[in-house]
Amino acid sequence: MDFYFGLVQIIGVHTLLGLSAYIVLLTGQVSLAQAGFFAVGAYAAGMLTVLAGWHLVPALGASAVCGAGVACAVGFPALRVKGLMLVIATLAFGEGVRLFFFNFDYQIAKGEIKVGPLGGEGFRQIRFFPENGWTTGEVMVFIWSIVAAAMALLWWFDRSRYGSVLRAVGEDELAAQSVGINLTAVKVSAMTVGGAIAGVGGGLYAHYTTHIEHASFNILLATFAIAYPIVGGLRNVFGTVLAVIFVQGFLIEGLRFLGDWRNLLFGALIVLAMNLRPSGFLGARRRA
Amino acid sequence: MLDFLQAVSDGVLFGATYALIGIGFTLVFGVMHKINMAYAAASIGGAYAGLLVLKVMAAAPPALVFLGAFAAGGLLGWMVYLTCFHFIPLSSPLATLMSTVGMLLLIDEVIVHVTQGMPQSYPAMFDDVMLRAGEFTLRGDLLLVFGVAVVCMAALMLLLYRTRLGLATRAVSQQPVAARLCGIRLEQVNATTFVVTGLLGGIAGALIGASVGTLSPLLTTPLTVKGLIVTVIGGLGSIPGAIVAGLLVGGFENVFQLYRGVTERDLYVMLLLFVFLVFRPGGIFAAKSGGD
Amino acid sequence: MLELQTLSRHFGGVRAVDGLDLSVAEGQIFGLIGPNGSGKSTTVNVITGLFAPTSGKILFRGEDLAAVPTHRRLRAGIARTFQNIRLFGQLSVWQNLWVAQNSAEDQERQGFFARWLGGQGGVRAEIAQLLEFSGLAHKQDELAANLAFGEQRRLELARAMAAKPKLLLLDEPAAGMNSEEIAQLRERILSLRERGVTILLVEHVMELVMGVTDRIAVLNFGQKIAEGTPAEIQAHPAVRKAYLGGDAA
Repeated sequence: MDFYFGLVQIIGVHTLLGLSAYIVLLTGQVSLAQAGFFAVGAYAAGMLTVLAGWHLVPALGASAVCGAGVACAVGFPALRVKGLMLVIATLAFGEGVRLFFFNFDYQIAKGEIKVGPLGGEGFRQIRFFPENGWTTGEVMVFIWSIVAAAMALLWWFDRSRYGSVLRAVGEDELAAQSVGINLTAVKVSAMTVGGAIAGVGGGLYAHYTTHIEHASFNILLATFAIAYPIVGGLRNVFGTVLAVIFVQGFLIEGLRFLGDWRNLLFGALIVLAMNLRPSGFLGARRRA
Repeated sequence: MLDFLQAVSDGVLFGATYALIGIGFTLVFGVMHKINMAYAAASIGGAYAGLLVLKVMAAAPPALVFLGAFAAGGLLGWMVYLTCFHFIPLSSPLATLMSTVGMLLLIDEVIVHVTQGMPQSYPAMFDDVMLRAGEFTLRGDLLLVFGVAVVCMAALMLLLYRTRLGLATRAVSQQPVAARLCGIRLEQVNATTFVVTGLLGGIAGALIGASVGTLSPLLTTPLTVKGLIVTVIGGLGSIPGAIVAGLLVGGFENVFQLYRGVTERDLYVMLLLFVFLVFRPGGIFAAKSGGD
Repeated sequence: MLELQTLSRHFGGVRAVDGLDLSVAEGQIFGLIGPNGSGKSTTVNVITGLFAPTSGKILFRGEDLAAVPTHRRLRAGIARTFQNIRLFGQLSVWQNLWVAQNSAEDQERQGFFARWLGGQGGVRAEIAQLLEFSGLAHKQDELAANLAFGEQRRLELARAMAAKPKLLLLDEPAAGMNSEEIAQLRERILSLRERGVTILLVEHVMELVMGVTDRIAVLNFGQKIAEGTPAEIQAHPAVRKAYLGGDAA
């Protein structure tokens, strides 16, 4: 049973990652930086609970703020460039974040041992959940309440004028500008919201795995992030959730008998999915 | 001061490989307005495949291994074209982009599996040759890397500017619709572009392996990022830009390494990218005027 | 209302707009005509801010627009339609109008939160009115991409109106229309004027231009070659030459 809870936890956290890419993708921007914001949130929450003794909930709040802040800062220069350049810029940023944490040491002594991030070795002993007696089931419910909240938030956006404006920008920037939409403000705001969601996801990730390191926040994770909304389609948030369940559930766990070859299959599966259904599972609403 | 000059010179010579990778990215962008994210991985893959020559013929000269990498690169290039661009409608840019990312991951994993994650040593040529001028050294193997890269770039320019295929390619990059109306077969031009850039990439991968001494799958991600940085700094679509930017990035990278060490080096290369993005997003040479 | 002072826009060697002087008074319906390539669309693009002028000035209600970015020009009161319709195809008719409500008036009326995150309720009446005016009320939930061509043109116009403009730039709105549709368009333009909108009409279709404008300026190769009432323009020799070429006495 614990195994399945664990799987549901992973799906939850990855859904947050996917949702963070989803809102940015609505504005037509392909961002490979979400894994970077995820990493920032992970280290921030970890450091606050382990080094400063905070409770998880405010630590996650801080993760959201950090993720949002970094995303906003990255958003301004990065969104001045278009399309493919943005992909490259966000990719480089994501790698930059990973390299930063590869070089990042901040340890303090707690009793007899030293805790905190230690460069290439990563950040171990993020033990808020076990230390406070949370069961796997409780962690799972906690994660999914946050996921549900994020989904509700994005659903609300989608039904509001903001959601239509996001999609208008994604569809035709020239026309959007000509009806008075401030492109930069819209794009940066989407990036910021995405950063906040990714940050919270990262914070949760750090706590259920209890050990994070730079290598986990690599190009593969960045790809997962953007793959979910692309494979799931942009009609609404459920497409992204479906894609996460499909990829993580079916692919990684269901094909566990393939052992090490699973990762190979991920790449091949994406190639196949894109060839068969270029606009995703729940693609754009149908044209007459 | 001498250390600085030495770092610059070694870096620039090595930067020729980055220039080749940058050319590969930028050429595909120029012709198809798409980025082939799998390019650097395919180049390293080609280099690995070159090692198969040694399996067949244990005492093969390095030149043969390079040739193997060259051919394998071309083959991989064609495969990427088939899986990512031939069937997917070009009007779905997200789909083609994701597809190339999928191939990047796939190639990476295949390499890891086949080699079981063990770095493979790569044959080098002239690695024992050193030209000295006082305290200043020019490594023979780096000179070879530079020389081979220059030959490849010259061959590419000849191809683009002196052959019918090159003419067709340049036509497609400027006006794809009009080019088709003139009877140019788009699929053929696109596929050939991938094969040609693949050939270049295979050589680049082999040269990297030769100058570093070993090949490891850990090379693909940094190479992808640096290749893209070179492409952006040089200007998307500009081959001379990619060449200059490649040498530039190579030089800068080595200087960063001299002053800040290997682990921080790549961070500064990223910063270089952001400086360019903020101040000169068009790159050193703005792209050729495209159909857009 | 709108004043162009020696406005020029060059693209390399091509002088798309060359030293144009134009003055549109409040409440006028002003026509801009000329052969293909004479600079009409470029003029519109420069006024809305898509291109910066190479030289010259644009004054809107006395204010120099040089420093004002495109999206702010709409808030200042300028709106436009596009020659080749640029609707948000993936949004519904209703949503196309909704996202365009960015005028200064709208910003003052509703708070930030209500405007961006509120639901459809607050603006339902207003948008319904626009839909009525354009005859699109029955299609309000249809995807813009699924509309018939004529309906799309009406939506394009309605969307420009959603911005509550003082000056409306219409870029060849009658292209591809039959006589009946042109007559309906004419009625719509006239009723817009009654609502206090000044209109700059760029058009090829003479049936519309001659029948609805107060004043016309004629462009050729980026320069103004004539200006006057429709009657004056019809009789003008330089205009005939530009359109028909050579001696057309």
